[in-house]
Amino acid sequence: MNSSSDHPLKRTARAVFSQLIIGLVTFSALRLHANAATSGFAFLITILGIAVWTDLSTSLVSSFVATLCYNYFFLPPVRTFTIQDPANWVALISFFIASIVATRLMLRARMQADRAESRRMEVEALYALSIQLFTATNRVGALGEAASRALANVGAIGGGLVLFGNGTYDQRLICWSGPREEEIEDLIAGVGRHKRTLEFPAMAGRDVYLPLNIGGDVIGVLAARGTSTALRALESAATLVALAVERERFLAESAHVQALEEGDALKTSLLRALSHDLATPLTSIALQIERLREMVDEPAGVVVHDIAEHTGRLRRRIENLLAMARLEARSVVPRPEPTPAADLFRAVRDHLPLVVQNRQINVRVAPDCPDVYVDPSLALEILANLVENAHQASPAEMPIELTAFAHPLDPERVRLEVADRGSGLRSESDVNTDPSDTPRRGLGLEIARSLSNASGGQVTLTNRPGGGAIARVDLPGACYPAPEEMSA
Amino acid sequence: MTSRARILVVDDDGGIRNTLEQHLIMNGFDVITARDGVEGFDRFNATRPDVVLSDLAMPRADGFALIQQIRTNDSTPILVLSVRGGDVDKVRALDLGADDFVVKPFSSPELLARIRAQLRRSVTTRPKKLDFPELSIDFDKRRVIQRDREVRLTPTEFAILELLARHAGRPVSFDEIVAAVWRGAPSTSNDTVRVHVGALRRKIEPDTSDPRYIVTEPWVGYRFIAEPLA
Repeated sequence: MNSSSDHPLKRTARAVFSQLIIGLVTFSALRLHANAATSGFAFLITILGIAVWTDLSTSLVSSFVATLCYNYFFLPPVRTFTIQDPANWVALISFFIASIVATRLMLRARMQADRAESRRMEVEALYALSIQLFTATNRVGALGEAASRALANVGAIGGGLVLFGNGTYDQRLICWSGPREEEIEDLIAGVGRHKRTLEFPAMAGRDVYLPLNIGGDVIGVLAARGTSTALRALESAATLVALAVERERFLAESAHVQALEEGDALKTSLLRALSHDLATPLTSIALQIERLREMVDEPAGVVVHDIAEHTGRLRRRIENLLAMARLEARSVVPRPEPTPAADLFRAVRDHLPLVVQNRQINVRVAPDCPDVYVDPSLALEILANLVENAHQASPAEMPIELTAFAHPLDPERVRLEVADRGSGLRSESDVNTDPSDTPRRGLGLEIARSLSNASGGQVTLTNRPGGGAIARVDLPGACYPAPEEMSA
Repeated sequence: MTSRARILVVDDDGGIRNTLEQHLIMNGFDVITARDGVEGFDRFNATRPDVVLSDLAMPRADGFALIQQIRTNDSTPILVLSVRGGDVDKVRALDLGADDFVVKPFSSPELLARIRAQLRRSVTTRPKKLDFPELSIDFDKRRVIQRDREVRLTPTEFAILELLARHAGRPVSFDEIVAAVWRGAPSTSNDTVRVHVGALRRKIEPDTSDPRYIVTEPWVGYRFIAEPLA
């Protein structure tokens, strides 16, 4: 019970009633011919009772009145406000001090009890709110309902929840009840920018605009209008609502990630089936062509060779497309490892036996060329496509040059070049989009570019001095730590 | 006259099985076929082939299970044939005990070369000397002769070369190299192996732009590609 917050009339009535009780105690003591000591104890107990029941001022006035009555009626000479015996002075002063101290102690104890009760109620309310928010936001899209419950819980008669856009103060209204004035938006934006609570007196209680803080960022504002709940409790409620918002965001993201994972799993499953169903018949065809080649003579051998070449190209395209699809589906991620450029060039020649049979391929790796830090399977696809392009774009008698050296400008990169003596590109300005250069701008170049990007590199085309074109692939170089010992 | 080598082909695809069977018979091998890992293991126990060619994705028991079963008490060479060459399947199969890995679609000369390499390895005892085209390695004298000149190798380089040459044709993993050369020292990283192999290649390769002896086996380790002279 908080007497200071009572109606003034009630307080006055209590004050008057307290004095009447003191009068009644005085009258009873006189009728019973109580001595000074007995009546003093009676007055003290009465004062304690009044302190429990009334406020500080009434208790103090009552203590003073009781002291006067004690002096006037019970300390000799009686019926006067004088005191003859010095010992009675001590008794009177002791009585007065005791009544004042007892009053203060009693009031302090009562205030602490009131405060503890108030906090208990706040904790209970917040606990109930947290349970409600948890159950309300256990699914995506129930945030408005949760905010409404929070506002009801803090005794607000209106208001709502507004969230800000990601990194901006664009407002998204989640829920609102009661009137919504035009200036509310500016008010809410101000609370977001300054990260401070705003309070305004209202017809009933007050309007409070609370920022929702998560990790130092304001993600929205909870407006509690017409509430009389303590600010501390409102701020706690706002913290709970902020957690509920964050929780819903995580739920939404989790649902999104789950959907993506399911999509990726489906893609991976499809890719596995496709890989198997395409590679298996192609293997059979390749082996049968080998058999056929051994069985037939010229000129049928030329036809078989053509079939083999086209089958090889089809196989490579399928491999390329599957490699790109795997990367896009994230069923595989590039796994770079230090790879000598000479090994990549050798793998390319092993991979393109029909090209190698019909054309000279010259390889040069600079002595100081670092190893390439790349996924070997992707690097092989990149180079194989560029070599195939060069093969198609240049006369059969002209060799293709494969070169690897440290990048001239960036010491952390390696440059691989595929150079041919074909017709070259029409002009330097449109070397990468020249529509007349059909062999080079086909699917092979696009695949090489995509795989190169996935490997942290890039492909550029340029005209070669003396005729022809150069496809350049710049890829990260490998960096080795110094070995502990070289001659173990 | 030597008997024909016997090859067990395990693949769930009938087309591949038949094509491989005809192709291998044409090239002088005896062939037994099986449709999955379970049938493959039965045929393996019944016929004791010289080389096993196995697909990975198969019904009932897949290629991994077949490798595990065979490797419990047998060292017959196993070549894995699979559509996927760039992922963990390759390392897993080799770790389980497969001897080599061929990615579909493959060319027949490549497959035949790999089979020959495995057959050679399975009948070879530890020779004191190995001769390759333009490269001779004398393990007793610890000498390496390349094109009539002696190549001076550090003890580490020689140990790596010996390991790779003795397993010519077969991929040798980084772990195997570390275990054999550094005796499994935990501080030895793959990069340490790469640096030593790089130095070795610079010494024995006639043209470092066009390796003839040692090539990297992506994600696994290295392979000695030259075939020993008879």
